[in-house]
Amino acid sequence: MKYKKISTYSYNLHIIKTDKFKTITVKVNFKRKLVKDEITSRNMIINMLCDSTLEYPTKRLMSIATENLYDLYYGGMNYISGKYNVMGFDVTFLNEEYTEKGMLDKSIKFLADLVFKPNIEKKSGGIRFKEENFNLAYNLLKDNIISSRENPDSYSKIRCLENMEPNSYISYRSAGYLEDLESLDSKKLYKYYNSILNSDIMDIFVIGNVNERHIKKIIEDNFSNIKTLKKPSESHFIRPKKTRIIPKTVKEKQKINQSKLVLGYKIDKMTDFELRYVLNVYSYILGGGPDSKLFKTVREKNSLCYYISSVGQPLNSILTINAGINKDDFKKALALIKREIYNMKKGKFSNEDIIKAKITYVNSLKELEDNPQSLLSLYAGIEYLNSDDLDTRFMKINKVTAKDVVKLASKIHLDTIYLLEGETNEEK
Amino acid sequence: MKKSKLEKLDLELYQETLDNGLEVYIVPKENVNGIYATFSTKFGSAYDEFIPNGSKKMIKVPLGVAHFLEHKMFEQKDDVDPFTFYSERGCDANANTSNYKTTYLFSGANSFNDNLNYLLDYVQEPYFTDENVEKEKGIIEQEINMYADEPFFKMYDGIIYNSFINHPIKYPIAGTVKDVYSITKDDLYRCYNTFYHPANMFLIVTGNVDPNEVIELVKINQENKKFDKFEQVKIKEYDEPNKVEKKLEKVSMDIEIPKIGIGYKIDCSKIKKNISDIKTYLSIMLDIKLGNTSKLNEDLHNLNLITHDIDITLINTDKHILIMIMLESNNSDKVLELIGEELKDLSISEEDLDRKKKVRKSNCIYRSDSIYSINNKIMGNIMNYGEIVLDDYKKIDELNIKDMKNIIKNISLDNITTYIIDKA
Repeated sequence: MKYKKISTYSYNLHIIKTDKFKTITVKVNFKRKLVKDEITSRNMIINMLCDSTLEYPTKRLMSIATENLYDLYYGGMNYISGKYNVMGFDVTFLNEEYTEKGMLDKSIKFLADLVFKPNIEKKSGGIRFKEENFNLAYNLLKDNIISSRENPDSYSKIRCLENMEPNSYISYRSAGYLEDLESLDSKKLYKYYNSILNSDIMDIFVIGNVNERHIKKIIEDNFSNIKTLKKPSESHFIRPKKTRIIPKTVKEKQKINQSKLVLGYKIDKMTDFELRYVLNVYSYILGGGPDSKLFKTVREKNSLCYYISSVGQPLNSILTINAGINKDDFKKALALIKREIYNMKKGKFSNEDIIKAKITYVNSLKELEDNPQSLLSLYAGIEYLNSDDLDTRFMKINKVTAKDVVKLASKIHLDTIYLLEGETNEEK
Repeated sequence: MKKSKLEKLDLELYQETLDNGLEVYIVPKENVNGIYATFSTKFGSAYDEFIPNGSKKMIKVPLGVAHFLEHKMFEQKDDVDPFTFYSERGCDANANTSNYKTTYLFSGANSFNDNLNYLLDYVQEPYFTDENVEKEKGIIEQEINMYADEPFFKMYDGIIYNSFINHPIKYPIAGTVKDVYSITKDDLYRCYNTFYHPANMFLIVTGNVDPNEVIELVKINQENKKFDKFEQVKIKEYDEPNKVEKKLEKVSMDIEIPKIGIGYKIDCSKIKKNISDIKTYLSIMLDIKLGNTSKLNEDLHNLNLITHDIDITLINTDKHILIMIMLESNNSDKVLELIGEELKDLSISEEDLDRKKKVRKSNCIYRSDSIYSINNKIMGNIMNYGEIVLDDYKKIDELNIKDMKNIIKNISLDNITTYIIDKA
C-alpha cells in the first residue's frame, strides 16, 4: 500500500494505491464549520445531487446508468464531525480488469457530473434546481426527519444529548430540522450549493489499484471547475463543558415495549494521548463488547437487558452508555451501571482487561485495511483529526497503563440520565 | 482434500468431508489480514417436530428453541465463556439463528489455531443447567421486545405469520415471550443431541489461512472426540395449503409514517426447477417491475406516495415462495392499487434481463473482495443447492427469457396477505 497526498491550489488529492481490492473507490468531501440551520440544507443537497443530473434527469435513469456501469455504487452522506460538518459523495466500481476498458474514466465522470452538473433550470429570477426534483428531495428529507422517532434506540440517544447540552454542537440532529426545511426553496438551495463549491474545504480520496499519474489526470480533467481556494482548517475537537453537579434525569414516554436507557457522561479536559488512546481502552473494558463489565453485570448476571454498551466520543469529550430494559428495572439497571463506573475509578479491573482492550484495538485496525470504506475513514481521520498513522497507533496503544485508565476514569462524570419509557409490556 | 477453482473470482475452494461426516470448506485469501470462520448446523427455527436421535416417536418442542439453544451454547462448564475467550485474543465472536440453520462464528487476525479449536470445542460441548437456562429467559425476553418495537421487523414477522397455516416457518425465530418461558434444559439437550452431530454440520473458513494447516487441525480436533452413529433426522413434513391464513391485518404503532406490507404466497411444486433458481428468477422479475429502475417506482415517488424505495424480500419452504413487499406511505389504498395493477402483467423484456444479469455478475466480483461475503456465498450454496456453485458467471449466463416466461406462466399471485401498520 502506498499513500500520496497531492495538494492543488483548491483541493487535496489523496491517493491510496493498493492491490488488495478489485474495486476503486473515489470520494469527494466538502467540509465547513458546523452551523445548526445549515444541516438541513446540506442534507437537501445530498438528496438533490443523488437524485438526478443534467445527463440523467431522473433517479430511474441514474439507476439504469449505474447498472450499465457494471453496478457502480454511488452515495452521498452528510455527517457531523465535532465542530465541522462533512458532506461526502462517493462511487465504488470494479477495476477495468474485471469489466472493460474505459470504465475508469466513465465512472469518475459519473461522480463529477453528480457533483458539478446538477439538474437545474433557468426561470425568471435566475437559475434554480429543477422544481420536480427539488420536491422529491424535499419529500424524502421530510420523511427522514419526522420518522427519526420511529427508531427508539437512535432517538433516545439524540434526546439524551439534547438534554445534556441544548443548543451546543453535540445536540444537533444530523437529519436536520423541519422548520429549516420548510423555509427552503429550490432557488435558495441552489445558492447554498454554489456557496459550498466556492468556500468549503475540499478533499478527494482515491483507493484502489490505480496508476497515480493517470488517476491524477482524470481527476484534474473532471474536477477542473472547482472555484474554492484551499484554506486551513481549525481543530474539529469540541472543548469539554462543565458537568452538572447533580445529574439531570429526564423521562419521556413512547408506546413501545422496551424502554431505552441512555446515560450521558462528560469528560474533563483530556490530554491528546487520553482522548486518542486511553478513552478507547477505558470504554472497551467498561462496555465495549460481550466481555465487558457492563455486559457481564447487567446482562449476564442480572438478565436485565439484551444489549448494553458504552461509547466514548473523543471529539465531543463525552461518553454514553445505552441499554434496552424493562421500565420496572430502571433503578436496578442504573445502580448496577453506576457501580461499574465506580469500580473503574477504583481500578477494579485486571491487567488482562487492559491487554484484551489493546489486542482488540490492534486487531480491528489490522482488519480495517481489508475494506476500502474503512481505509478511507482512516485517511480522512489523519487529514481531518490529525490522527496518527497505523504504525504509530500500534505503538502508542501499547503504552496505555492501568494507572492511565484510572486517571481518566476520575475525569468522567455523570451528567444526564435519559429514559425513553415504554408504555406497553408484552404479556408473559 | 479436493481443490477447485472459483471461476472468475481469483479464488480457490478446498473441501473435504471428514470420517465423522463433518463437511469442511476453506477459501484462502492471502491479501487480507482477517480470518472468518463459521460453524453451522442444519437446524433452525422451522424444525419444531422431529424424531429425536435414539427414539422412534415424533416429538414437538417449544417454538424458539433453536434460538434459545444458540444463546445457551455460550455457557461453558469451566467458566471461560466464548465471549471472554475470543476477547482475550482480540477477536469477535457471535452466533445467529435462521429458519433452517444456526451458525457460530468468530473473526479476527490473531491466534487462529486456538480460535478454531475452541470454536469446534465449545459448540461440541454443551453445558445446560436448570439455573443457566432460567437466567437466559429475561435476556431473550428483552431481545424479543427490542424487535417488537421496530415496525419493519414486526411487519416481516406479521406477513409470514399470516401467510402460512401449518408450516412452522410461520412463527418468529425467537418464538414469543411465552414460548421462551416454557423452554427447559431437556428441550435443549433433545435438540442438541439430534441436530448437532458433525454429519449435520459444516465448517467454512475464509481469509488468510493455509488450507492444509486448517484441515489438519480440524482432523486432529475431531479424531479426539466420540460421536454416536448419525441417523438422518426425520423431520415432520407439513401439508401446507396454497391459501394464506389471513388476508388482512391492521395494527397500530407509535410511528409517524404508516407501513404497508404485501405477501404473495406462491406454489412452486409444479415448476420443475430448484426452488432457489425459481427464487432468482422471481427476484429479478420483481426488481425490474418494482425496483429502483422501474417505471412504477418512479411514478410512486412522483405522486409523493413513497419517498424510500420498495423493499422486496423472498423466503421459501420446500414448496412455497413467499414474496414480501414492504414500504411506507401515507396512502396505502392507492399504493396497493398501483402495485396490484403493475403485477397483473409479469412479463419483462430481454434487454432488462440482460442488464440485471450484468449486475449480478458484477456483484460476484464485488463480493469476492470480502471474506465475509465469500463465506456467506458458500453457506448459501450449501443450504440452497447442497453443493458449491463453482462458476457463478456460468450460472448467471444460464438465466434466460424462456425459463422466465415459463415460470411466470406457472405461478399465481392470487394468494395475498396485506399487513398495515397505522399511526397509533
